[in-house]
Amino acid sequence: MTDRLRLNAFSMNCVSHIHHGQWARPDTRQTDYHDLDTWVDLARLLERGKFDALFLADVIGTHHPYRGSRDVTVHEGMQIPVNDPSLLIPAMAYATENLGFAFTHSVLQEHPFTFARRVATLDHLTDGRVAWNIVTSYLENAARNLGYGTLPAHADRYRRAEEYLQVVYELLEGSWEDDAVLRDVAGGVYADPAKIHDIDHQGEFYPGVIGPHLCEPSPQRTPVLFQAGASDTGREFAARHAEAIFIAGRSPAGAGAHVRDVRERAARHGREPGDILFFQPLSFIVGGTEAEVARKVREVDEYASPAGYASHMGGAMGIDLGEIPLDTPLGELGDYNVQAMVKGLIESAPDQRWTFGDLVRFSADTRVSGTPEQIADELALWVDQGVNGINVMYYTTPGSFEDFIEGVVPVLQDRGLVQREYAPGTLREKLTDGGGPRPDDRHPASGVRRERLAGASAAG
Amino acid sequence: MSRPLHFSAFVMNTASHITHGLWRDPRGEQIDFNDLQLWVSLAKTLEAGGFDAIFFADVVGLYGDYDGGWAHHARLGLQIPSNDPLVILSALASHTEHLGLAFTAGPIQEPPFNFARRVATLDHASQGRIAWNIVTSALENGWRNFGHDGLLAHDDRYRWADEYVDVLYKLWEGSWEDDALLADRGSGVYADPTKIHKIHHVSERYRVEGPFLVSPSPQRTPLLFQAGSSKVGRDFAARNAEAQFIVAPDPENARTLIEDTRRLVEEHGRHRDDLKFFQGLSFVVGSTEAEVRAKEADLEEKIDIDGMISHFGGSLGVDLGQYEPDTPIDTIHTEGGQSGLAWLRESTGGRTPTLGDLVRLRARGTRVAGTPEQIADRLALWRDAGVDGINVVNAFIPSSYEEFIDHVLPVLRERGLARGEYDPGTLRHKLFGGGDRLPDRHPAARYRGAFAPSATAVAR
Repeated sequence: MTDRLRLNAFSMNCVSHIHHGQWARPDTRQTDYHDLDTWVDLARLLERGKFDALFLADVIGTHHPYRGSRDVTVHEGMQIPVNDPSLLIPAMAYATENLGFAFTHSVLQEHPFTFARRVATLDHLTDGRVAWNIVTSYLENAARNLGYGTLPAHADRYRRAEEYLQVVYELLEGSWEDDAVLRDVAGGVYADPAKIHDIDHQGEFYPGVIGPHLCEPSPQRTPVLFQAGASDTGREFAARHAEAIFIAGRSPAGAGAHVRDVRERAARHGREPGDILFFQPLSFIVGGTEAEVARKVREVDEYASPAGYASHMGGAMGIDLGEIPLDTPLGELGDYNVQAMVKGLIESAPDQRWTFGDLVRFSADTRVSGTPEQIADELALWVDQGVNGINVMYYTTPGSFEDFIEGVVPVLQDRGLVQREYAPGTLREKLTDGGGPRPDDRHPASGVRRERLAGASAAG
Repeated sequence: MSRPLHFSAFVMNTASHITHGLWRDPRGEQIDFNDLQLWVSLAKTLEAGGFDAIFFADVVGLYGDYDGGWAHHARLGLQIPSNDPLVILSALASHTEHLGLAFTAGPIQEPPFNFARRVATLDHASQGRIAWNIVTSALENGWRNFGHDGLLAHDDRYRWADEYVDVLYKLWEGSWEDDALLADRGSGVYADPTKIHKIHHVSERYRVEGPFLVSPSPQRTPLLFQAGSSKVGRDFAARNAEAQFIVAPDPENARTLIEDTRRLVEEHGRHRDDLKFFQGLSFVVGSTEAEVRAKEADLEEKIDIDGMISHFGGSLGVDLGQYEPDTPIDTIHTEGGQSGLAWLRESTGGRTPTLGDLVRLRARGTRVAGTPEQIADRLALWRDAGVDGINVVNAFIPSSYEEFIDHVLPVLRERGLARGEYDPGTLRHKLFGGGDRLPDRHPAARYRGAFAPSATAVAR
């Protein structure tokens, strides 16, 4: 039987997340991002559409300069201003019962003791519907905002991430035993101190974290762990820790290669192929007829801002693409001393008559447009390559999600490709279709739990 | 004189906050603190009843030892387990319109850049109802959770706090000009980069580049609470705080404390009324004196005296579990919280306080028991001593607040001791009537416009 596709809505607590320029349309609520109602309404919509989760991206700095400054990013509202994602979750959780909430948090952002408590609190408040997207921050400005002076080297960030996770596992999994909380009203005993343990962590980046963890065990203990690293180090890290991976395939075949590579790496770390779910981001333009699709495509293209896409792409690569005029035809780009990364992109463009602006826009836009049936056919190709879920990106919000839910979801349900009803339990149980609320036994979080608590129980 | 008092509900995201042992009672719904429902429904109750704010206390570690360890705290649920207070607030904000949302946090918990963004996110989400209670963390274990060998000396903690708020003020007040946000759909310009500035902060502990990632929120800087009563703590409050949480043993002590602090406020160039004083009090309400006595007796029986002592000693960092009741305790030197000792010395009228005094005073504490009319008489004395507001300590959540709202507040309103309808606007405007932002004489105001290139030029 074909595995079902899981659906996440991909968004960010800012004005312009992926599809730049669309915020200026009259039919989107992007400029109301700081209003809680925007998010609560979105969460309710997604739950009606049986989406698995809302996935919130984040950055904690401005992007690399474009045309020598951050002016374009500010003009575009391109991930600046950007508010904290995790704080939206309780308001949305209270208005829903089943929807999961994945939020992005960088290991540079705050001390793991503070973070572990915050994420455990969220897991309690949501009855176990929280996921953490682990990132290591790639923005120089983020590092300078957080006191690092400059961005630590890639390998150093991942070494820090390893230790950060270790501390978080020790706190979430290794400090409180399952039966530590008694709530014994008659005896007046809330918790059993013999079953709550210091973690006494000593390490390179976190030289002293004594513990104990301050929260009692939450439904999932460790939140569902997402990761998105594409580098070799990033993939190794994901293969060991991630339960869900956000990939960025340019095609179903490309996604399939990524999936197989990480599954092989995971196997080397003693995990099973099914232990990791792969999510591909895609944008959809849905119409009842091909004419309607064409009209909606024109609307999107009319508002699309090539400068916004170029500042985002270069900002993420750490290079200033502003020196290349957006209307330069790709065939004439030989005049520019572009970096290898961009050169590869240019060569891969199917139509060399595109302008550079077209290229950056289409590169950032893995778009699937069509009638619901056509879209379902396309999604089946991704499933065949081992993709387990889609991160649905929006052009307008909530409009893009409404179109998908009203048009595409029923067709996908009829084909057995997505769920009709939520499975019971925590987000981890819902996503894994039969797994438990806690990380599986092969996961390193469970290893920390066994190591820390088995000895404790034996001694106790 | 008919100056009405303000009222906030003093709570904590834990089972046993101040009055220990009471979660065992069926009325003690605080045992459900992991459940968001408890807090949303309490916030709604408080708003329907006209409370100004809900005030979340917090700690980031265990209290100091009692009887040689912390087993006692776990058994009692004495602020362990305890969850993060900040992440609850978005849910409370989305279910209320007027209620102020105050939470506690200190500099050791997270870098100022990250903290500033979280707070501003909440200030947007709540339309300007956030208050921050600035603490310096007095618990040894808290420090050892964040990589320190132990507690930093008291005065050094305040120096750190000074540095921390300085960074925050720059981010909240100085980075974005008021008219930086355009959201001009026609031209597609979301914000004006010439009005958003890096702060380039460099000090002993922090290097923070900026710009701030959040656009100006209704209050920019949240309403600032503080609770220190040591000399250094009061000086910090006199410079920075807009509301001070005090626990004076009686109105006369409160009068002296308030007058002294108001003088300090003026010495720092602020107006004496720029700082409001909230006295912590608990209430036992009955319709007859006989009922009041019966309810008090019931409470006395249920309150855990050991819990009251260990909480007090634990906040000082002194193990009181091994002393006889007549042990004089005013000679104790501690680097922990100084407020408790000062309070105890004042409470015994200058006589050498003993552990026995502590037990007696701590159990009865600052409790006001009586009929609604008697309570109104007592509150009039507090108000006349200069107190601006009451932080209402609970025995039971939510019934302590329900009783106060149903029986006491109507009498207070008749006497002009409580206001009727909410005033419109942000929390700051509701409390001070002078607008949403900090007044120009507050130290944060010096950063307004300070980072604009023209301002830099003028400064040079």
